[in-house]
Amino acid sequence: MSKLTIGFIINGQKKIIETTPFTRLLDLIRDDLHLTGTKEGCGKGECGACTVIMNGELVASCLILALQADGAVITTIEGIGSGGHLDPIQKAFVETGAVQCGFCTPGMILAAKKLLEENPYPTEEEIKRGISGNLCRCTGYQKIFDAIKLAANRLSTRDGGRGEKDA
Amino acid sequence: MKKMPKRYVGKNIFKVDAQDKVTGKAQYSDDIYFDDMLYLKIKRATYPHAYLRRIDISKAQKIPGVVKIITAADIPEVKNFGLIIKDQPVLIGIGRKMRYMGDALAIVIAESKEIASKAVKLIEVEVEKLEVISDPLRAMEKDAPLIHQDSNILATHYLEKGDVKKGFTQADVIVENEYKTSFLDQVPLQIEAGIGVFDPETEIIKLWAATQWLHDTQADVAQSLGLPKEKIRIIQPVIGGAFGKKEDISVHIHLALAAIATKRPVKFSYTREESMIAQSKRHPFIIQMKTGVTKKGYLTACQVEVIGDTGAYASSGLAVVHKGMYHCTGPYNVDNVKGVAHTVYTNNTYCGAMRGFGATQMAFAYESQMDILSHKLEIDPVQFRLQNAYNHGSSTPNGQILTHSVGVKETIKEAADMTGWKEGR
Repeated sequence: MSKLTIGFIINGQKKIIETTPFTRLLDLIRDDLHLTGTKEGCGKGECGACTVIMNGELVASCLILALQADGAVITTIEGIGSGGHLDPIQKAFVETGAVQCGFCTPGMILAAKKLLEENPYPTEEEIKRGISGNLCRCTGYQKIFDAIKLAANRLSTRDGGRGEKDA
Repeated sequence: MKKMPKRYVGKNIFKVDAQDKVTGKAQYSDDIYFDDMLYLKIKRATYPHAYLRRIDISKAQKIPGVVKIITAADIPEVKNFGLIIKDQPVLIGIGRKMRYMGDALAIVIAESKEIASKAVKLIEVEVEKLEVISDPLRAMEKDAPLIHQDSNILATHYLEKGDVKKGFTQADVIVENEYKTSFLDQVPLQIEAGIGVFDPETEIIKLWAATQWLHDTQADVAQSLGLPKEKIRIIQPVIGGAFGKKEDISVHIHLALAAIATKRPVKFSYTREESMIAQSKRHPFIIQMKTGVTKKGYLTACQVEVIGDTGAYASSGLAVVHKGMYHCTGPYNVDNVKGVAHTVYTNNTYCGAMRGFGATQMAFAYESQMDILSHKLEIDPVQFRLQNAYNHGSSTPNGQILTHSVGVKETIKEAADMTGWKEGR
């Protein structure tokens, strides 16, 4: 089994790691780095549980080879929030009851993060589109929409934006 | 009566583990790692209904990194398992039958997932194919091959309330239809996964694996392995959804056997495909339903025949199909009810628990009947339901008197208001 060395930045930390040509980014993140907040739900890029942000794009880490991450900048759920403080999106998920079994939650939060970075004032339709790559089997999604609306509201208030805009 | 302290009632309480779940810290079974850990994969059935004639593990064993391969010949003392009936074999032995594509033929334990998967592909199997029964109606025919030793009809339950014959003579309109529902996978986002560790000193097997029935799983693993319950310790990590699918044994016994055989921690995670093929489903029902109603729109009789396909193994099938029949009138008053329900073996993936446990399948039939009847009677379907709906004191088809809260009428009214039923859609 040929080993190859790759380097990347994950959650702000530089890593140099040996991997194989057929290791998935998901396995590298989970099995080698033990960042287990990234989940495997289908292994086919359908469910979004393995979502990470790579070079600014939302990706299904089960469909990316570890080698493709050479030189990349990656954010996983462990890189959201800082110094023990929850990110406003994480906080909103807790407060609105958007978390049940929690298995989809890390991917959902990353998708929400990306959405709100691009579109700070999303309508409900835009929220639905923003998380359309992420499946949840517990909540029926409504509480997740509520969480993202709440986070959007708080973030825009903080940034001096429109604040109480009804999304 | 003493006043309840208002700490929780009427207030929003944050879920205790939500913080761990939004940060990714919550540990599900697949998130646990041990040093020196091995990985397990299963060689599964190659045909849905066949005798296993030969299994050759020699090529698979030669792959570097394969630590152990266990077949039925290695574990003659291990017994069948199952939620209600112990009809599920842990491994299929030579001369024994595989009954669906999820049946396990060999346990492969290796230094990595990749090696284990590669070894599984190199296991050679010869089978003697039998007729594959995928239709429960075929399974019920006299000349159909038996999937287990006895009849393919695993159980028949009956229901009788009042006088259904009299009920139909009182009816002005009678509608009879056949309804069919399909297999459904519960699809919890977390796939079946677990870790087994054997402590040679205490001879205790520790299993970190999701289950909905901690003590039943412990008891079933223990009886299958012929060990006292105190030798099986099930540690429940965070569960990534279950919806009934995690009532049945999945990784548990295979992990226990692997941990005992290797004396090393072993991890086993299904793939989603494996979960679809090997683990329980919602029962498809075939429902023949005859409903009688007066001109004024009051239900007088309901007669039902249910055939539930429980697949290759019983799981909770007897209870699911039986309970489905008990729901044949839905939340509507019917004085005269007669029913029969068959739980039938086929070579499909076995069916077990899923949200509603038989009730949802039946809802498709009785609510369709209600719509058809209201149309025939030219009564508003909401009004038709309201005038037949359960009250406090109503009696269900199995004779239970409803003495607690009965909210169906309020629910129907509220739903009609919210959807703007009166104004038209």
